[in-house]
Amino acid sequence: MDFNTFRQAVVEAAAKQGITEYELYYQSSESTGIGAFAHEINEFSSSVEGGVCFRCIVGGRMGYASTERLEPAEAADLVARAASNAASLESDDREFLCEGGKTYEPLERTAAPLPATEELVAAALAGQDALYAADPAVIDGSRSSAECAKTEIAIVNSKGLDLRYENSFAVFMSMAVVSDGHEMANDYNIKSGDFSKIDIKAAAGESVSNAKSKLGADVAPTGTSPVVFSPEAMSSLLGTYSGVFSGENARRGLSLLAGKEGEKVAADMVTLVDDPFYKDSKMPINFDAEGSPTHRKNVIENGRLTTLLHNLKTAAAAGVETTGNASKSSYDSPVGIRPFTMYIAPGTTTEEELLKKADGGVLITSLGGLHAGANVVSGDFSLQSSGYMIEGGKKGKAVKSFTVAGNFYTLLQSIADISDTVKLPGFGGMTAFGSPSVLVEGLSIAGK
Amino acid sequence: MISRQICEAVLRKAVSTGADYAEIFAENTLDHSINMISGKVESINDAVIAGAGIRVYKGLRSVMATTIDTSEAGLMRCAEKAASALGEGTAELEICLHERLYGDIHPVRIVPATVANADKIAVLKEGVYAAKEYSDAIKQVTGTLLDIDHNILIATSEGIYAEDRQIRTRLVVTAVAEKNGETQTGACRPGRRMGMEMFEHEVSARDTGIHAAKQAVTMAGAGYCPAGVMPVAIGNGFGGVIFHEACGHSLEATSVAYGTSQFAGKLGTQIANPKLTAIDDGTIPNAWGSINFDDEGTPARKNVLIENGILKSYMIDKFNARRMGMAPTGSARRQSYAYTTTSRMTNTYIAEGKDDNDEIIASIEYGLFAKEMGGGSVNPATGEFNFAVNEGYLVRNGKICEPVRGASLVGKGSDVIMNIDMIGTNLDLGQGMCGSSSGSIPTNVGQPLIRVSSITVGGR
Repeated sequence: MDFNTFRQAVVEAAAKQGITEYELYYQSSESTGIGAFAHEINEFSSSVEGGVCFRCIVGGRMGYASTERLEPAEAADLVARAASNAASLESDDREFLCEGGKTYEPLERTAAPLPATEELVAAALAGQDALYAADPAVIDGSRSSAECAKTEIAIVNSKGLDLRYENSFAVFMSMAVVSDGHEMANDYNIKSGDFSKIDIKAAAGESVSNAKSKLGADVAPTGTSPVVFSPEAMSSLLGTYSGVFSGENARRGLSLLAGKEGEKVAADMVTLVDDPFYKDSKMPINFDAEGSPTHRKNVIENGRLTTLLHNLKTAAAAGVETTGNASKSSYDSPVGIRPFTMYIAPGTTTEEELLKKADGGVLITSLGGLHAGANVVSGDFSLQSSGYMIEGGKKGKAVKSFTVAGNFYTLLQSIADISDTVKLPGFGGMTAFGSPSVLVEGLSIAGK
Repeated sequence: MISRQICEAVLRKAVSTGADYAEIFAENTLDHSINMISGKVESINDAVIAGAGIRVYKGLRSVMATTIDTSEAGLMRCAEKAASALGEGTAELEICLHERLYGDIHPVRIVPATVANADKIAVLKEGVYAAKEYSDAIKQVTGTLLDIDHNILIATSEGIYAEDRQIRTRLVVTAVAEKNGETQTGACRPGRRMGMEMFEHEVSARDTGIHAAKQAVTMAGAGYCPAGVMPVAIGNGFGGVIFHEACGHSLEATSVAYGTSQFAGKLGTQIANPKLTAIDDGTIPNAWGSINFDDEGTPARKNVLIENGILKSYMIDKFNARRMGMAPTGSARRQSYAYTTTSRMTNTYIAEGKDDNDEIIASIEYGLFAKEMGGGSVNPATGEFNFAVNEGYLVRNGKICEPVRGASLVGKGSDVIMNIDMIGTNLDLGQGMCGSSSGSIPTNVGQPLIRVSSITVGGR
């Protein structure tokens, strides 16, 4: 059963049930993954997933229903469930479907051919060789894997919208486990892009040297000190708190940035960008989850909040235009709001100079437990950290098992410097976060 | 869901290239949730999740293929894909399935899918309105009533053909309180493996709302938690997340089988304080994390993980059991057909001890009482964990004093379970969703009130 046949059945079912305003959102993905352990391939996975979300406006309210069974017999039930759910809703917000016939920025990049399974196998095995060859401290448990995936999205609605999107990407992952005979340490690293150009030896080597540098780490001393967040740490913090820029959270009283457009919310040097077409994005896209055109924007410009992020509904409630940030966390989720590639724009200070400025402080390279230790409403955070002491203006001895505590809103105001290179770490899909290294004064460290 | 005859044919295809184990996991799930915000029903999620995952093993190699096409032809194609990934070979297994009736120890009286939205909304509103009306300081309340009707079928080359229907219901209320332009949150999330009858005797929607609101109001007036190393008393129920993170994950075969666990090779040795006994029990009737059998068809069990501080058992799935040379323990779980099963927790708790609860607090000269914990995470290789304190109080001279906000606890699992030196008598369980490589699954954590003699408290 394919989407087009199912779509036809749903259109007919909607007509029969007298539903005139509706949208179908289809998403499917196919992926292949290979994992290696102790120089052998030990895992192979091949998956096909996908489903359809139907939503319709009945009595002014938007009802949703979804299914993974794309069979014509399911169509009538899907439509009836959505209509019945609409009847149970109470929200007085005006609901919208995107009008057809809009202009979309052309995408420069389209789906690249996926690597063959043999290439994935070769990469996973080469990863094993590279891990063990990198250092005698590498032990069994070190894993390498390669994965490729193809995603397809389609949005069609009763207003003439008919959009398609296809993308694919491949990633190589290496996780090094090292031991000094007393303790273990690990680190992983993900590379993506043109699969044939990924330097497996370098990627594996990087995860080994990062893991090794954690061995023998001490607990950081308790106190208040300057902190440099690495791009990895800052991106994960930004990702955790990205909801504060949502127009939906703002009007619900769940973001303290509500009504702050035009006001200073960060240090002068801070510019925060949301770019659906960012050069390093794995999934650049020219329409959002409602079908509105997407565009690049500065959310914060030189410290001032330019705009919150909106979809059609929140934009109408706020009396502004949508920013094209409608999103769905999976095909069956209600439409919410998320950035695409959101990153802090680079400054002019080199990495070396930044560390010099933070002498005596802590370089945090990794933050843990963000889903628990960061309160996205109050902005308070207290997070497990690891990294290095900054000694003589340089990266010094490794430290772990300490926390850094502060408040995200205050942190934006107290950014003292920003390095000159943006990194986009992590797996990153349609939503990704990036940052340069960032120096923040006066954060609380709890350790020994 | 899928007939025994079709499963036999599909498994024969799956083992056709020489696999020594094959398995079909098929599901048909109704996932329903009603969401309220700003006093009104805002959205309803209503999804059918249906598909199958086929796994084959040969020695220490595992292959998994998934499909949303559960017709016979679709399953055969999926099985062929899995079989061909093993390479060339010939069938070495005979396939003969026998239906297995494990029984259901988790009775459901009111199946949520048969309850009208209006009746569910009435329950949800009771919780949300109770939170809203608790105090003028409450500025926002969100509520979700979710139910899941998870029908699974497992057929394996060992001859198992079994079906189960896992029904779970949960109410989540979160409240936001505001004082002097600052906001704080409170939450309460009770859930059971049962239907809507949960709200008759087990869970009060009203109390759930009040609990969330009270916590938000308490924390909104609180100052920041001081930082440092100190003794900490951790409250019962969801406080058990400390064991879940600091130790539980490191006892899963997922990390033990590969040697990347702080507790690999430690069976029979003293890894925890002699006062500590910890159990993973999938057989508690109607408990949030309970199962009848696991997602590989192994019956649920009560596994004593640690007894008087001695490591007694890991939690093991069939695939990792091979590498470890040990038997599976009924611990294989997956979020859905789309995830590869691995060893996971069910209802995991620290057993009741003998220390008087009041004496535990009285024993602390200066420290923290973490009345309610939030979530956390761990790196099983190093044992470094973290978790958040949602509601904390300073303890001075054995007395619980003012509330403090923004605290978290960090440390190393192997250290902290040695430092759990007092264990009280009020065991309770708390509900959570646990995330790992096989997806997000319902698990209970639990404990009585405990004391950790010394741990790093993150604050400022």
